[in-house]
Amino acid sequence: MIHDYLVLSVILFCLGVVGVFARRNFFTVFMSVELMLNASNLAFIAFARLQQNMDGHVLALLIMAVAAAEAALALAVVILLHKQTGKLDTNVFSLLKG
Amino acid sequence: MTNDFMLLFPVILVSLGAIGLMLAATSRCVQIEQAAWACGGLFGFAFLVQLAATLTGDQALYSSLFNDILVVSPFSKAASLVILGCGLFTVCSSLSYFKKNNFSSTEYYSLLLFAASGMLLLTMTRELISTFIALEIMSLAIYILVGYDRDNVLSTEAVMKYLILGAFAGAFLTMGSAFVYGAAGSTKFALIGNFVATTGFLSNPAILAGSFFILVAFLFKAAAFPFHAWVLDVYDGASMPITGFMATALKTAIFAVFANFLLADSGLQQGWVTFLFYIAILSMFMGNFIAIGQNSLKRMLAASGIVHSGYLLIGLVALGSQPVPGSVVAFYLAAYAAGTLGIFSALSYLSGKGEQWKNFDDFKGLAKTKPYTAFAISIFLLSMAGIPPTAGFMGKLYIILAAIQTGQITLAVLGIVSSIVAMWYYLRLIVTMYFHAPERSFAEECPSRIGTVSTLVLVLCVFAISLYPIAL
Repeated sequence: MIHDYLVLSVILFCLGVVGVFARRNFFTVFMSVELMLNASNLAFIAFARLQQNMDGHVLALLIMAVAAAEAALALAVVILLHKQTGKLDTNVFSLLKG
Repeated sequence: MTNDFMLLFPVILVSLGAIGLMLAATSRCVQIEQAAWACGGLFGFAFLVQLAATLTGDQALYSSLFNDILVVSPFSKAASLVILGCGLFTVCSSLSYFKKNNFSSTEYYSLLLFAASGMLLLTMTRELISTFIALEIMSLAIYILVGYDRDNVLSTEAVMKYLILGAFAGAFLTMGSAFVYGAAGSTKFALIGNFVATTGFLSNPAILAGSFFILVAFLFKAAAFPFHAWVLDVYDGASMPITGFMATALKTAIFAVFANFLLADSGLQQGWVTFLFYIAILSMFMGNFIAIGQNSLKRMLAASGIVHSGYLLIGLVALGSQPVPGSVVAFYLAAYAAGTLGIFSALSYLSGKGEQWKNFDDFKGLAKTKPYTAFAISIFLLSMAGIPPTAGFMGKLYIILAAIQTGQITLAVLGIVSSIVAMWYYLRLIVTMYFHAPERSFAEECPSRIGTVSTLVLVLCVFAISLYPIAL
């Protein structure tokens, strides 16, 4: 039972990682990061059941709060990007070269 | 209770100051200059409080706060001291930077305080989720500061890259925490350490995977080898004072929490020694390789930050041999911070409007027209390269001695080789400043008094830190 939840959580996490690297739209990339965070929330809840304590539930709530703060900032950056370039494609931004 | 309050006082001071400044920013009556002085004053006061706490008692009677979630140790005190010092000098260089550039506002200084409060919490935290929260308090403030110049496309691009990759690393940290929690039943470092000590490190795949994910997140934030690509772009896009702040205070906070995590149990540290060994070597040589190819001074300094991360990782590999855990790492961080902050403080008033002068060639013949500034920059560069009698030399010496004591002779030898390679790009700037005819007059950059004074103080710091003895 708990095993299934963990497998699902790992699958979601991997989907998030693939999304960050494969997609080129800023929105989609950020949604992938959020997916990764939620995958870890699911893992926390499943492990809380396994460990028979409530710590995992509290930690998942805290992670949600931080993820919300991060999303607020990301949306501000989206507006900034759109105002300056009119596009949200991450390929457009190559002024800085590593 | 009083004890807890005293130990937490610098954090309380900085975070209340941050909230106060943010509220004050809503009313028009606060000038930006006043906000800067208030912010600098808060950093200075918190620094003095922290200094008093560091000097009076080495071991507080009850050093743990909030049910062992925060622990104050000599190492965390030293790291907090470095962070508060970095904050103070960043305010000084911001003051001189914003004489030429005008995109500052009161919130800028409030965000500096927010970032510092996150960093201070990060040095003390001994629990994975408070690590994540402190990391995000710090990172969210830093993201905004990186993209503060809203009309500059470069800084918008920098904040976009940093935000995506930073959030990505944060997700790795939470996933790692989840796995470690699943295995050990707790997210406290002490209980995780107990669990690893009783069941063994390699026997439990969840601990192995979890701590690997956590290490990935830390290595990313510290800009170590496989996760170093972002650092050049982000440093290049951020403004000079913020680049200096990120290169010093942020790195100090990350290495403090990294060392605390590895100190949870010697089995955990031993399990990752080989991994960190290779990461340290690759960071040093990859960083050197990138730095040699750069034409921009800021990008060169960013790449040299990767090299310094490599040295700090040597300190983490050799954690076991130090009588006061992490003393060598803290010393290196302080020495590196003095040099780096110094050079960014000088660049803050030299780079001119919109940072138009930031390449090596722009500083040709600086010594002819501005001999004192050129001399100060040379001192900072020599300290970063590790020439005696500067703090950078002592820092490298302690790191290499600690590596030898743990039996990591290969690492010690490669550390020395890397510091010789690093001479190439540090001395290149000194040669440019001293042995080339000036191409421009440097007349525009009249340094503000605060910029000159803070640069001078940092020159003194470079020598003063080298005199501080630590036990090996």
